[in-house]
Parts: sequence; C-alpha cells; structure tokens
Amino acid sequence: MSVYERRVTRAGLLKAGAAGAVGLTFARPAFGGLTQLEATTLNWLTWSDHYANDQLAAVAKKIGIRGRPTLFSDNADAYLKIKRTGSQFDIVSGDALWVPKYHKDGLTESFDLSSLPVSKQLFSIARSFPFWKDGSNYMGYPFSWSTVQIYYNPKYVTTVPDSWHALLDKKYAGKISLENIPTDVMAIAGRATGAKKPYSMTSGEISRAKAFLKSFKPNVLKLASQNNEVVRALADGSAWIGITNLGTDDRVKDAGGPVVKPAYPKEGTVGFIDSEQIVKASKNKAVFEKFINTTEQAPWIAKNFLTNGRPLFNEKAWKLLVNQGHGDRAKRLLYNQPQKALQMTIKGPAGDEQAYVDAFNEVFGA
Amino acid sequence: MNTATEAAPAPPVDSQPLSESAGGRRFRIAEYAGFVPALVLYGAFFAVPLGIIVAYSFWKVVDYNVVHQWTIDNYRYFFSVATYVRTLWATIWVSVLSTVLTIAVAFPFAYWLVRYVPKRMQRTLLVLVILPFWTSYLLRVYSWLNILGDQGAINRLLQWTHLTDHPVSFFLYDRPAVVLVLVYLYFPFAALTLYASLERFDWDQFKAAMDLGARPLTAMRRILLPQIKPGLTTAVIFVFIPILGEYLAPQLVGGARGVMIGNLIVNFFSGAEYTRGAAASLLIAVLIIVLLVIFRRSLEIKDPYASGR
Amino acid sequence: MPRDAEIVSRRAGLVRFALGGWAVLIYVFLFAPIVLLVAFAFNANKYGTFPFTGWTTKWFGQVFGDYQIKDAFFTTVTIAAEVTAISTLVGTAAAFPLVRSRLPFRTGIRIGMTLPIMIPGLLIGVSLLVLLTTVFKWELSPQTAVIGQAVYTTPFVLLLVAARLQGFDPALERAASDLGANTARRLRHVVLPLIMPAVFAGALFAFTLSLDEFIITNFLIGARNTLPIYIYTQVKFGITPEVNALASLLLAASVTLIAAAFLLPPAIRRVRRLRPSALRARS
Repeated sequence: MSVYERRVTRAGLLKAGAAGAVGLTFARPAFGGLTQLEATTLNWLTWSDHYANDQLAAVAKKIGIRGRPTLFSDNADAYLKIKRTGSQFDIVSGDALWVPKYHKDGLTESFDLSSLPVSKQLFSIARSFPFWKDGSNYMGYPFSWSTVQIYYNPKYVTTVPDSWHALLDKKYAGKISLENIPTDVMAIAGRATGAKKPYSMTSGEISRAKAFLKSFKPNVLKLASQNNEVVRALADGSAWIGITNLGTDDRVKDAGGPVVKPAYPKEGTVGFIDSEQIVKASKNKAVFEKFINTTEQAPWIAKNFLTNGRPLFNEKAWKLLVNQGHGDRAKRLLYNQPQKALQMTIKGPAGDEQAYVDAFNEVFGA
Repeated sequence: MNTATEAAPAPPVDSQPLSESAGGRRFRIAEYAGFVPALVLYGAFFAVPLGIIVAYSFWKVVDYNVVHQWTIDNYRYFFSVATYVRTLWATIWVSVLSTVLTIAVAFPFAYWLVRYVPKRMQRTLLVLVILPFWTSYLLRVYSWLNILGDQGAINRLLQWTHLTDHPVSFFLYDRPAVVLVLVYLYFPFAALTLYASLERFDWDQFKAAMDLGARPLTAMRRILLPQIKPGLTTAVIFVFIPILGEYLAPQLVGGARGVMIGNLIVNFFSGAEYTRGAAASLLIAVLIIVLLVIFRRSLEIKDPYASGR
Repeated sequence: MPRDAEIVSRRAGLVRFALGGWAVLIYVFLFAPIVLLVAFAFNANKYGTFPFTGWTTKWFGQVFGDYQIKDAFFTTVTIAAEVTAISTLVGTAAAFPLVRSRLPFRTGIRIGMTLPIMIPGLLIGVSLLVLLTTVFKWELSPQTAVIGQAVYTTPFVLLLVAARLQGFDPALERAASDLGANTARRLRHVVLPLIMPAVFAGALFAFTLSLDEFIITNFLIGARNTLPIYIYTQVKFGITPEVNALASLLLAASVTLIAAAFLLPPAIRRVRRLRPSALRARS
C-alpha cells in the first residue's frame, strides 16, 4: 500500500500545482495590472532596429501604452500578415513604395502628420515625400533610410569589391551574409545584371537575375532574418562580406568585431525609406498618435542612430548628436543629407511579386 | 512483459466487459462515450484541417487567393525545381544519418546504464538526461552557436591548443551542424526508449550464453539484439519521423546550405503560396504515414507500471 | 579455466571503463550548451558571446523589470493551464474505450492516435492556420493556440493513461461490482483513484510540452507572445544576455519543481509519522 500512498501524495502535490495553474486562469481579471496591459497594448509589426527595449519600457511608464513588437524581415511577409490577420496588429512598419501599396489595398490609414507635435522635429523633406502623400494626409510616419551596400573585411578581402559580380569570386565561398528579403535580393541581382527597373523586371531580366543568384549561392553563409545577424556574422568573423545598411562598420566595431569598410558597387544598389503606418482594422487607432509622439522623440532617435548607425529623419536628433560630439559620425553617414534618400532606387513591391519570390526560392530553397 | 496478461488467460481487452454483467446493450453505446470529446477535438481540428491541406495541394493560388481548380500542377512544379528535389532528398538522408548517429550514441549509454550502474542510481542518471529538456528548445539550439561558431568554444580550443591558427568555419551553418544539433536534441528520446527496452532484457540469458562458450559480441548479436529489436525499432521511429519535419534547428544553425523541407514549407506558407506549401506538406505527411503503417507494431501500448522482470 | 576468467575479466574491465568514459562524454555533450547558457547570463559582455568581459547579475534584474517578459510569462502559463485541462480530460476519457471496448480497425486507431505526435508540428500549425483564418474566419488569439497545442499534447495523456489502464487488474473492478457498485461508482472509487498517477503524469507532461511549445503556437497565436516566442525573437535579435538570464531562471524553476515533486512527499510523510495522532493510529 505504501507504493500507492507515495504516489497519491505526490499526486496530491501535483494536484495542488494544477489547481494553482487553473486558478491563475480564472484569477486573471483580478490582476488589475494585466487588464490594463490588455487595454493599452499596441501590437507593432516591425524590424528589430525600430525600437529598443528600454525605449518601450520608458514609453509604457510615461503614457501607459505598451508597444508589443513582432519582427519580420521582408515587406512582402508583413504585407501578407496584415492582409490575413485583420485587427491583430495596430502599427506596421513599411518601406518606401510598399507604403502606397498598403494604402491602396485598404490595409492602412493615412493621417494628418502635422497633428503630431513630434513631426515638427522631422526634416522638412521627410514630411513631403510625394509617394506618401494622400491629399493633405500622410500615409506613414517617416523613420529612417539607408542604402544597401557591401561591407567587407579588408583583412580577408584584399581587393575592394566595387561590383556585385566581384562577390561571385569563389574564394568567398560561404563568407557572405545578407538579409533574407527575396524581393530586394532579386532587385539587387537585377541591378547586377543590368535590369532597367529592378523592381519591375521583365521575365527575361528575372531569369538573368536568377542565374546570377545561382552563381552567388555557394558564397552565401547565411540569409539573416534581421540585420543584427549580419552584423554579428561580420563581428565574429564567420562572414567576410555583408550586404547591409549604412553604419554597419560602426556596429561591427561596437560588437567587438574587426574593422569593416563599405564598398559601393558600380552597377548601383537599392535603398529604403521606412515609416510607421496605422493598420486600418486596428482597434487602437486613437492611441497611435500618442504612442508615436512619445516614441519618436529626438533623444530616442539619437540613441537609435548610435546603436544602429543608419540615418533617420528626425532633424532635432541630428542637433542632439552634434551636441553630444557625434557630429562627425553622423555626417559621415549622411544623416544631415536626407535628400540623398530620394536619389536611391527605393524599395517597393515587385511588379510580379510571385515571379520574384519564386525565382528566389528556386535558388535558395528556403 | 505485462503480468496482467500473463497471469490471466484472457486477452488484453477484457473478454467479459463488466458492463455486460451490469446491464446489456444500452451500456455498449455508453462505453464509447469516452471517445466523443476526442472525436470532436480531432475531427474538427485535426482531420478537417489536414483534409483541407490535401485539397489545397491539388488547387491553385491566384493573386493570394486559393482557387478551387483541380490540378496536379503543384506537385509537378515541386519536382521540376532542382533545388526543391535536392532539399527533399537532403532531408531524408540528414534524417537517416541523424537517426543512425543518435542510436549509435544512445545505445552504449543505455547499455552502460543498465549493466554497470546500481539500480538506485539509474533513475537519477536518467533524470539528468532529461534535465536539459527543461530549458527552452530554442536556447539549447542557440547555445550551439556559441560552441560551433567562429568565435565559439570549439574554435577557441583549437586555436588555444595550436591545432589551427584561424577559425574553422566547418562547424556551423551547414549540414554537419544540423546533424550534430539534431543528435543532441533527440538523444534523450533514443536513450530512454533503449533503456526501457534493455531494462526488460533478461541478462541471465546473456550469462548463460557466455557460459556455453559464446563470446560477448556473439552473445550480443544473437541473444540481445533480436530481443530488443522492438525497442530499437520504436527508438528509430521516435527519432527519424520527427526529424523529417524539423525546421527550427536547420533554420538556426543550418545557414544557407542546411535547408530542410520544413523550411521550404514554412517559406511557402508565409508567402501565401498555400497550394505549393500544401503539396510539399503532403509529400512529407505521406512518407510519415507510410512509415507508421510499416512499423505499426512498434506503436503497441505498453504499461510502464507493469513489473516486467 | 582461470586464465580464461582472467582474460574475460580484463576485457570486461576494459569494456566497463570504455563505456563509463562514453557516458561521461555524453553528459558533457548534454550539459555543455546548458552550462554555457547559464554562464553567459552572468557575462558582462552585452552581446552574449565570447569573450567573457566580467561578472554581473544585472541581466537578471532586467528580466524582472521587463514588461514584455511578464506579459509573455502570463500568456504562457495561462495557455499551458488551458491546454493541460483540455488534454487531460479528453485523453483520459478516450483511454477507456480504447482499452476496454472491442474496436474495429485497432491498428488504424493506434496509428491515428500517434499521428498527431508524429506529424510535424509545422503541419498542425499550418493546417489549423488555414482552417481557422480562411474557413472559420476566426481571429488568431491565445485560444486558437490552445486548440493547436491540445491537438499535439492529448495523445501523450491518452497513451500514458491507456497504458496504465491496460495493466489495470480487472479483478479489482469485478470485486467492487460483486459488492454492488454500479459503473459510475466503480469508476469513481476504484478505477480513477488507481489510475490517478498516470493521469497526473499525463497532465504534467502536457503542461511541460505546452510551456516550451513554439512551432504550433507561433502560427496560431497572432500578435501575442509566449515565452518561447519571446525567446525566439530575442535569439534573432541577439543583443543582450537578458535571454540567457531568463532561460536560467526558467531552468532553476523547473528543477526546483521537479525536486519538490520528488523530495517533498517522503519528507511530508516522515514528518506526519512523527505526529502523535499517526502513532496512535498505527498501534
């Protein structure tokens, strides 16, 4: 009988534990803090470099609105997610020409930019991008921009890679890291193979881009899902070359890695301008402005620049950076020249998105 | 080794259902009542969704919407892309390799545990094997990055002992890393199953064989292995089949070359390529079901509380 | 003869040593990532990688102050409780007819039972996603994640309870029936108490599986987070050892729970036995 006795007593303990867990479920409404959490949480579909954990905590403390980020890497993925999930998300970040697509397809709502006090801190050019205008409204709150170029470790990469084709060299086998964004990788391949409009390639141009990627694949170490991963690969030496945003050299050094240098391929490259958009089906639209107003303040933006290295559209933050002694670094990274953003081939949805994604998948598998 | 079945001449299912003595036909239906919740749960949320996936694999996607047009195009497309076929084959052989290695690693361990460890310590040592399971799966895989990476423990050790003078990238972001991590993740399954099986084995037979002049290896081959074959098969099934569907480990440590079919499926579904994803899913699901049917006898229910020996 | 015994024992000794060495290697293999994980929770290096730049406990402090972690923790535990409740009930109920009734297609049912475990979680997640969002047009939420997880965990409960039920001595029930108990009373007073250990083992197992479940949950939970999802995000983010601190805390909590489950009952009994009432009952 002692065997059963022992089992029952242990079972008794487990019973208590189970009861506790079930009790938690029903006691949830009693946890006042939690209901508050559920009432004022904004679900934010974004990239990892659009926020910092301490920033979110500070904002939550200040205005009681908690941002809950969900990460993605490819605009196409985010677009599909918003399309499929209705009111799950409240804010979605988007690049350049994706923003008008979101808006056209009724997934996001435009708003009056000037009604946000923090928008006055932006460079004036950022407040008037023609492709983001919707009458007197604006389709997104401008955040950051950058070109996508090559960063290389001169210790191992002895000739400056000034062309996309230089990356096909067999000695870089398994040494290149880039972000897993099929549309943009195809666009870059299009640039490399002379496509006239990298985001609306003809099927012939797509095949050529695909062939380029096929020769490129053996040199790819990793398709990263966020640019931090590319930075880390460069920092710990597993990658010698990264295809990534401005400021990577500073970030790699910060991560305790070697010196890396930028290189601009002569065929040209792509770039992004991103923004925060309101999801149309969101139930918390009323607090969007308050949240953005607090989150996008200059001190946070300045910190974001120091962490992530690429330029942002907040002009007041630029002044803060100069005052803090980072003016040279910011100048080097074109922070005070937002007009350059318009000179890039900016990212956007492909003409035939499916064909792009198919071609990419058929080369990389997944 | 179920004493209940050995003691009573009755077959495992009670030949004289107690309900019969209590009341007749009525209770027969009530007997099956226990199935109702399961039928609801699995009918609505398992069978139906899988049925939809089967259907999807034969339909088309036009402009992000699924169109009910019957076609085998998805399968034709899948097999027409060399990369996809290669990924499918790679998945199978990575799974085979991982399974073989896992069993090869787990068997000596289980043997040692049963033969050379005193009974009271066996349970503690087993708990120690399961203990890593109590950490997040993701973090266990992620930790391997710190061991296998260019700046990780292995490379540092190699450089410290001057066996190499610069980081060796072989260890990470390729198939070997995926196999290693999979062996690491599935070792406990194999170890526990093999332990249970070896524990039930009557070691006196072993001793008898050796007394009769057999060498240890021969005894193992002709006495031990045939008797633990069911346990061995179960271990293989419980390792090989789940590995076929793995996608997280390859995603985290596999890099661009360690892609498995799970990654492909996730990619298809995230990109709203439902029909293609469904076709790829079905390929793996069919493979799994075929294996389960072939090895159905390994799925017999065994009472863990039965005192076999 | 003696010489043979000598050779045999030497060889046996060698084998024993080799196997013991193998076991040690195995444990090193199993625990190396864990040890590293916990060690990096104390690493001052904010990138959570080598080199070790110093010792600190600030990451642990950060874990407790992080509202995202708190939110994820509550969601995780709530989902786990709901999943455990559902799978235990469904699994236990289904175990009875499975073991005790005459069933057609036994093999088919057996395969069907293990199918949800063997089918990749990926497929369960994806198929349910399609069903719930496209056909039922539901919003994704922790409750949809509960459904997906329950599909995955119930077979474990079912198998554990069914195994116990199969080994259940029918004589006990027959004795109760002879003494006049009907089916319900037999169930309540004889069968259920004796299979309780298996039911609780199943419930515990389901709870454990749910806590660490990532794949199915990730597809079905929508914008909410559970701890595994949060950890996944941070792993991809890869910046601070806060995640390591979190994992260490979770590990410590689990170890404590298990240790308590094993060590507490005997300790309680020992204390109880020393009480006068128990002594009196004994004599």
